[in-house]
Amino acid sequence: MTKKQKIRNKHRWLLLVFLSLLLSIILLSLPVYSFRQIVYSKRHANTPVDSEKYIEAKALAQDAMLPFGEDAKLNETVTHRTNSKGETTTMVAFEVGVKFTRNGWSWMKSGLLSGHILLIAFGSIVLASLFAVLSYQSGQKIQDKHAYHVKDRRLLIACVLSLIALLLIPVFAMHANYTFNRNIPFLLDDNALDAPVVQQGMDFLFTQEQDPISAFKGLSFQATGFLWMLFAIFFLNLIGLIKLYQGEIAAALLTGFKYVAVIVLCVVILYPYFVMFITGFRTPVEANDMRFRYIFPTKWIWSNMTDILNRGVPQYLLNSAVLSAGATLIAMLCGIPAAYAMARMDFKGKKAYLGFVIMSQMFAPVVLLVGISQLMTTLKLNNTILGLIFINAAFNQAFAIWLLRGTFISISSEMEQAACIDGTSTVGALLRILLPMAAPGIVTTLIFVFINSWNEYTISTVLIATPTKKPITVGITQFSSFNMIEWHYLFAAALLATLPVIVLFMLIEKHLVSGLTSGGVKG
Amino acid sequence: MNSVFVRHKWEPYLWLLPSILLMLIFIVFPIAIVFKLSFSHISPAGVVGDFVGFGNFQKAINDPAFKQVMINTFIWVVSVVGFSTLIGFGVAVLLNQKLFGRKIVRSIVVFPWATSLVIQASIWNYIIKYEYGNLNNVLLNLGIIKNAINWRVSYQIEFMWECWVGIFVTIPFVTFCILAGLQSIDSAYYEAATVDGAGAWQKFRHVTFPLVQPSLTVSTILNIIYVFNSFPIIYTITKGAPANKTDTMITLLYMRAFYDRQKGPATALSVIGFVVLCIVSGIYMVSSLRKEEH
Repeated sequence: MTKKQKIRNKHRWLLLVFLSLLLSIILLSLPVYSFRQIVYSKRHANTPVDSEKYIEAKALAQDAMLPFGEDAKLNETVTHRTNSKGETTTMVAFEVGVKFTRNGWSWMKSGLLSGHILLIAFGSIVLASLFAVLSYQSGQKIQDKHAYHVKDRRLLIACVLSLIALLLIPVFAMHANYTFNRNIPFLLDDNALDAPVVQQGMDFLFTQEQDPISAFKGLSFQATGFLWMLFAIFFLNLIGLIKLYQGEIAAALLTGFKYVAVIVLCVVILYPYFVMFITGFRTPVEANDMRFRYIFPTKWIWSNMTDILNRGVPQYLLNSAVLSAGATLIAMLCGIPAAYAMARMDFKGKKAYLGFVIMSQMFAPVVLLVGISQLMTTLKLNNTILGLIFINAAFNQAFAIWLLRGTFISISSEMEQAACIDGTSTVGALLRILLPMAAPGIVTTLIFVFINSWNEYTISTVLIATPTKKPITVGITQFSSFNMIEWHYLFAAALLATLPVIVLFMLIEKHLVSGLTSGGVKG
Repeated sequence: MNSVFVRHKWEPYLWLLPSILLMLIFIVFPIAIVFKLSFSHISPAGVVGDFVGFGNFQKAINDPAFKQVMINTFIWVVSVVGFSTLIGFGVAVLLNQKLFGRKIVRSIVVFPWATSLVIQASIWNYIIKYEYGNLNNVLLNLGIIKNAINWRVSYQIEFMWECWVGIFVTIPFVTFCILAGLQSIDSAYYEAATVDGAGAWQKFRHVTFPLVQPSLTVSTILNIIYVFNSFPIIYTITKGAPANKTDTMITLLYMRAFYDRQKGPATALSVIGFVVLCIVSGIYMVSSLRKEEH
């Protein structure tokens, strides 16, 4: 492709940006909603056409038309009647009908939240196009210095602005839908959820006399098409800008696709956490009845947290902490020496031991529940946290050894060998040389075992009967009994149980990849 | 040699001793007890009686729910392991690219792994409720649907939701295993492939895939084991209702052992499950090891 062709292409994409801007302006000017309404209506009996009375009446009607300008239409009906005496009387009726139209601009001026959002979206599209022009002008200047494909910062800003506009459309849709659609059931019940918003919506549609429900429905029906078109136009704008920024459409599409995938991924993964978060702060009525509910709580109930603190949750959290810390301690005390031997020593039966460790993974605690509860009764560890500590430590051995061994292998043994020749014992070499160097891997394993024990549920349900000894995972099930589930409390408690663990896991996430690599793949 | 100087022959065993003891007492003993119980008569009160041969196994297999439960278990393991591996692979490839905010995305992806399964299952249980579930609420508020949809019309659909939750919570593990494999690939391979004129797909097929195969094998085997043994999801969402129609072997085992007081058949189920698991993961391991050799 020659330079000239490239420049022509660039013109074309800039044109697309402006075309989309133009289209959006046109779309915003088109009526989203239109209806005809009678604003003036009066009958005059005994008024012959062109009589003095008639002219007076017509003037009155024309006065009523004035504030509405050209949208108003005067309708005149003349009826002749013959009464019982045989006289003919004339009745004149004047009606002023006004055609109201609402378009994007009037929506922006309406003062509705959705109007503000529309304004911001449109504003950012305009700004984006402006930035595109700015970069185009300076691009002309530096063209000769073969800097044609310099990725312009202004174009990047334009892309981001355009993307923001695109993403604002669903937000706009949500709010418009909230005002004009979700409020209908409340209007029907004469029990408006958000009276000021409903009033604003009615003012916007000018429906003092018209039935608000049909007006709202009419609008939301027409607005759907409007939204899709606006979305498509903004998308064109974004495509044009990305093309200008990236140079190649295939690369641009690929990048776009990648980010779309990432966003979808994050939304899907965060969705249940979002649900947990908002439900934990709802009122019980809102949590259990959808009619009284918007996406976010109408009122954030912080007292849910204090309520659950009075229902044993601190004790559960403490139990979980003790249990997990104990299990981690024991798992590490047993696991570090084993991993050390596996990483640094040669002996007969090494493979057999590895096989044994892998075999232990085959049995989840659930499968062995009957055996475990029997054993615990024999050891008198039934219904104790100590018993849980041992079980969790044992079932986490395999993963701990796997991770630790990987860490140890990835560290060169030269220092230890030197120390051993100098007369240090193997214990000394482990404690003084290897452990400090392997600290990140050890912390990773530590946290990993801690989290696994914290999240463990099945054994604890079976082994622990006393309420005060329950860990949090079992403790929160008290909020979901058979006949009634207190969702708001359940999720408030779940939030407390989840947050610390997620934070811990985020800390080790980076090391976990390297740990898995060295432990699983290389070894 | 990457080893340290050892003074006595028996020293390594001393190092292993604590770990062996721990696992011996708390894993091997229960295994032995389960095996022993599966061949003995157990009264509903839990008193262990005489050796009954395969009586318990017969009872377990003749259980009216057994057939449905085996089918469920098969669907559960295959769909959860299969889909989570597919999606996890995709996510790992995505996260291995240069992305703005990759670190944040990686921390977000790890969330389901860090959350307790009971809590996850409770949240999803709430999301898909018909009358007041959050999914209906969000879709209604966004104007995507006009009337609430019943997301759990039949037990088959409910079971599909359980599978989805299973997939959802398994994805991070697969992603991180494969990501570990992907990051250990030397970029020199790709450069060589580019010199040879390989396209993106060919690079993936002939460089990426063979090199992450070991990680894939490890993650798949561990996944088969974990997913087979998974308990809280089904227990929280449906408890196997209606009439064991959504149970897998593990939840059935739990119900039989601790609700119906039939510990004999329950232990027999444990043994059956273990044998099946051994065979399946053994076959998978052998076949994928062979593939690697080729």
